[in-house]
Amino acid sequence: MEFSAFLNSYPGSYIVQSFYHSVIATAIVEIAIKAWGIRNPKVRQRLLLIVIIFPIFSFPVYQIINPQRSSVYFRLESLLDSSRWLDMELWGVVPIQYGFFLMFFLTAVIFLFQELVPILRHTYESKGSGISGERAEEHSVMAQAWKDLPMEKTDIFVLEDDDVVLFSTTGRKGSIYLSSGLLRVLDKEQVRAAVAHEFAHVIRSRQPLLVILFLFRIIMFYNPIVLMEFRRIVQEDEKICDDFAVSLTRNPNALADALRKLYITEEEGMQGKTKNLMTEMEALELYSHRLNIESRIARLGIGAPNAGDNGWFATGLTIVVVLVMNYFIV
Amino acid sequence: MRFFAFSAGVAILVFGLKFFNWLPLMIQVDSMRGYRDLEEVRGALQVKTIFVPSYFPQHLSWPPSRILAQRKPFPAVIMEFEKMTSKDTMLLISQSTSEDFLPEEKIRLIQVEENVTYSLKGREALLRVGVCQRNEPCSGISWKEGEYKIQVLAISTPFELIRIAESMLR
Repeated sequence: MEFSAFLNSYPGSYIVQSFYHSVIATAIVEIAIKAWGIRNPKVRQRLLLIVIIFPIFSFPVYQIINPQRSSVYFRLESLLDSSRWLDMELWGVVPIQYGFFLMFFLTAVIFLFQELVPILRHTYESKGSGISGERAEEHSVMAQAWKDLPMEKTDIFVLEDDDVVLFSTTGRKGSIYLSSGLLRVLDKEQVRAAVAHEFAHVIRSRQPLLVILFLFRIIMFYNPIVLMEFRRIVQEDEKICDDFAVSLTRNPNALADALRKLYITEEEGMQGKTKNLMTEMEALELYSHRLNIESRIARLGIGAPNAGDNGWFATGLTIVVVLVMNYFIV
Repeated sequence: MRFFAFSAGVAILVFGLKFFNWLPLMIQVDSMRGYRDLEEVRGALQVKTIFVPSYFPQHLSWPPSRILAQRKPFPAVIMEFEKMTSKDTMLLISQSTSEDFLPEEKIRLIQVEENVTYSLKGREALLRVGVCQRNEPCSGISWKEGEYKIQVLAISTPFELIRIAESMLR
């Protein structure tokens, strides 16, 4: 099948328009975040969800509302006609649509190897977890650290490992693992904050909403905007867990210090490595990771004010504008 | 204040999109757009053959009220003709090298009562008779003419439609 013919078919139009709709939705969400100065991670996450979920349904719903929406006449009057760009040819030779499909293909590959495979592997390893460690309550020194935290139904294990290790397994019976190396690096208050943060992840993983969200995200596997915005949602999730941890420990400084010790100093090791494409990409990823950690530390320092109405007005208005504007994007 | 900041941001986005929509028209001159007359289409797009009827019912106004044409991604021309006494589109003629190109929005058969093959000066044509949007009787005929698929839609009886279609062929 010829490319142009595919683009005019229902699946082709779905792919192209869902991409354009997610671009516009991202722009509107960003305008809302800036206009209302939203810093609450829960509200930000809710707004970012629009970018993930909306493009899945937008094209079919709009087509049901108006089956003539893809016609020549509608396109001529539209706010943005995607086919004008897709039908263009660079230097009269290379169709731009090939560039679009290359972008979708690369996004799909990145999604497969950076998201789907690691998540499936993590889920598999969590189920058949062969990790053995000392139960926290048996660990004489640090057990006091999280004794007063309300962590019912969550097991905490201390692994004998000199490396700094801290992670949690998800599911109904989530567990938290930390290494003896970590216990040597962090003081008691910092360990308490770090464990509380992991506990927040365990609690949040019990909510089916996150699983449903990931299933939605899978549908948009080819969409680079959804790829980026999903990562932002994950970063906002970290901030939500930070807030939860602080609400338990009442000590934001301890969590900030733990983050600093665990992630900022650890990354200095990249310096002095021979430069090549792989190390450059690694360095870029580390730099981006470091920026995220620094923004989390800064947040813990200043505190995150909630929007007056929990951002419901901003969310509602954003949804309406996204719905109306994207109707005229074909 | 925040609402106004949001509105201003959305307004800037709308203007940005309009510019982004206009830009390809400037870069690529042969994408779908409106033309003043058929000569302009021939000159701009180098379309050799444009099928125009020589028989034209008196109640329709000439020249076409709207001409749309493109060369890429495939050559296509649409001509709309209005009623002499009003702005209603009564006749729509399109030609395109793509089989899927069916601009039926202005005259759309919402209920097809008859669907028959018809020999149009030796060409095998598909004749459809039915009812259009405002419950008006209308009809459409389509056939292949060389590399083009031609479609004629009219808010009229099939007899008049066939006369118009036949007058487009030599």
